[in-house]
Amino acid sequence: MVSSTGEGLSRRQLFERTAATVAAPLVLQSAILGRSGAVAPSGRINLGFIGLGTLGPIHLRAFLSSAAVQVLAVCDVDRKRRETAKAAVETAYAEARSKDQYRGCSEYNDFRELLARDDIDAVVITVGDRWNAVIAAMAAKAGKDMYCEKPVSLTIKEARAMANTVRRYHRVFQTGLQQRSEPQFRKAIELIHDGRLGALKMVYANLPGTCGDVNLKPEPVPEGLDWDLWLGQAPWRPYNSRFHPYGASKGVTPWAFCRDFSGGQLTNGSVHNFDIVQWGVGADGSGPVEIIPPGVNGAKCLTFKYANGVPVQVVDWKLDPKIHEIPEGWTDVDHKWSQKEGTDFCVVFVGEKGWIHVGRMGFLKAYPQEILADWNYVRKRPVGDVTTGHHRNWIQSVRSRQRPIAHEDIGAGSTIVSHLGNIAYWTGRALHWDPVKEEFEGDEEANRMCSRAMRAPWTI
Amino acid sequence: MAQETKPAGSLDDAFAALKTYDWGSDIRALDPIDKAIESAQGKAAEWKPLENRLAPVLKAGVPRAAKEFVCRKLALIGSAQSVPVLASLLNDEELGHMARYALERIPGPEADKALRDALPKATGKNRIGIINSIGVRRDAAGAARLAAQLSDQDAEVAAAAAIALGEVGSPEAAKALEGYRKRAPKEFRNVAADASLACAERLLRRGRKDEALAIFRELGAEGQPAHIKSAAKRALSEATHA
Repeated sequence: MVSSTGEGLSRRQLFERTAATVAAPLVLQSAILGRSGAVAPSGRINLGFIGLGTLGPIHLRAFLSSAAVQVLAVCDVDRKRRETAKAAVETAYAEARSKDQYRGCSEYNDFRELLARDDIDAVVITVGDRWNAVIAAMAAKAGKDMYCEKPVSLTIKEARAMANTVRRYHRVFQTGLQQRSEPQFRKAIELIHDGRLGALKMVYANLPGTCGDVNLKPEPVPEGLDWDLWLGQAPWRPYNSRFHPYGASKGVTPWAFCRDFSGGQLTNGSVHNFDIVQWGVGADGSGPVEIIPPGVNGAKCLTFKYANGVPVQVVDWKLDPKIHEIPEGWTDVDHKWSQKEGTDFCVVFVGEKGWIHVGRMGFLKAYPQEILADWNYVRKRPVGDVTTGHHRNWIQSVRSRQRPIAHEDIGAGSTIVSHLGNIAYWTGRALHWDPVKEEFEGDEEANRMCSRAMRAPWTI
Repeated sequence: MAQETKPAGSLDDAFAALKTYDWGSDIRALDPIDKAIESAQGKAAEWKPLENRLAPVLKAGVPRAAKEFVCRKLALIGSAQSVPVLASLLNDEELGHMARYALERIPGPEADKALRDALPKATGKNRIGIINSIGVRRDAAGAARLAAQLSDQDAEVAAAAAIALGEVGSPEAAKALEGYRKRAPKEFRNVAADASLACAERLLRRGRKDEALAIFRELGAEGQPAHIKSAAKRALSEATHA
């Protein structure tokens, strides 16, 4: 059933539908699982897409090229976006449809209707900070596996609640922290964990920046946009096209400057690099213990400190000798990396024996160079090829029921690092964090920033 | 006597701007309030003068945007002193959510009591929101009020109460959920089961292993939906061998 009225389902309808949905895994098992309990090689995974702004269509194009999956439904509160996505799906499957091998792609305004379908095995969630955790938790309760974009949440508490719910039902959850699947990042981490740098002394990670409160002038809500459902848990406010330009998306996360909807740069971009830091310093499942904003306690930039003593300084696309200690052998002083030149700055790990600089598009550099040994990887595959990398890891995990490389606890942990950075910015204080209790020590205001009351009926 | 002039951007200027602050107004005019909160360096005693000036704005005839701004600040620095004025807005059609936005994060029994007391009179989404907030705060004393909602004629309210009781995770909550599991309408049985699993997880963390195991055993038995049974069996195994 397609809703285009802009009205959300009532909770009653939601729970009725969810009740019907929870039997989905049983139904699907008979259809796609082999005797061993793993998905038979011929069994395709039926997908639904929730969120079709910028990242959603990128994932959609990638998965449409894979015979391992079949896209059955798309969902967005922007009618034009979902209609565009539906057309793309049906074009891609035109040949199959002509042979009666495909029934067509449904479009939904309300994600709850999509989650209620018992023929959808898994969902790709790319809605944004304010929605990702809520939808993911509901998807887990509905028995769906998930590929969920980062950041996984708007707040620290949400991230943990979502991960707990996913784990309760043993759903297969892949966070869109795809650097974990990039060969050069894997190689860098392997070398660090093998001790090729000796003990880590410093880590540099790109990129600073937060967001704040904004108050834009009201504009008429475009016909075809369900503004109330767009807002979700966030406080109600009037529509403005800077938050959501109707139709074609402009920018990856146009709403990310507004604190009600996002954590800004740290949660939307830098989280990729914080994720690599967490992995590299051996803090998966944990996190930093101290966060210092720039200008406090002598810190010249946002700085995280881990329990093993490793400081992580957040850099603005380059190592700046006025701010950072330039490591021996570093020849790129004041060189400002950019995505245009084919890589991001990403992360530099500095150890007793040298350093490793790892970035996107296959970039990997070390000093002394011998640290890299026989590394000669050259990126050849096109972006969005699901036959390799992060998407494939998820597909394989859905079949094998193993946890993928960026599972829910990884996603929650790395997202929480970003939230910690923001809270340090917002309070303007050095903060002490207990990564086990997930509480700040002795700072009530900071602890109050770990959660926000959601607009009803939303909860997690 | 010459009139005292205030420097541009003073705290007084900001409170003056708040009187006409509406959607689309320049938020920078309110920056001094944020700076005052920041300069208090997290010391609750230094928040008090600010709270004394902010809370009365919620009763003044100012635009909704101004009151919402105040609720955002009270979420960070509000104390028991602000609870009554926030509680008076809990069933307000426009401001109910933002009143909870502040109240949910104010520590102490006063905010718990305000939410509990507001529940019987609240309606619609505000009622569900209050239930959700009691759950978020894991107010054990709220279990009885929540349990009463399980019999509400509005099944959506009952389901919200079940979810909140799962968050409360007390023995009383577990008992209420046990009853709800048996009488919940068919379409809500899985909500009841999920809330019970969450409740059992919380009991386990609190060292009430026997009560948790009993819930896992019941939900892992035949007759439960497969995903509930599977989750319960796994939890039972992990808890037993922990």
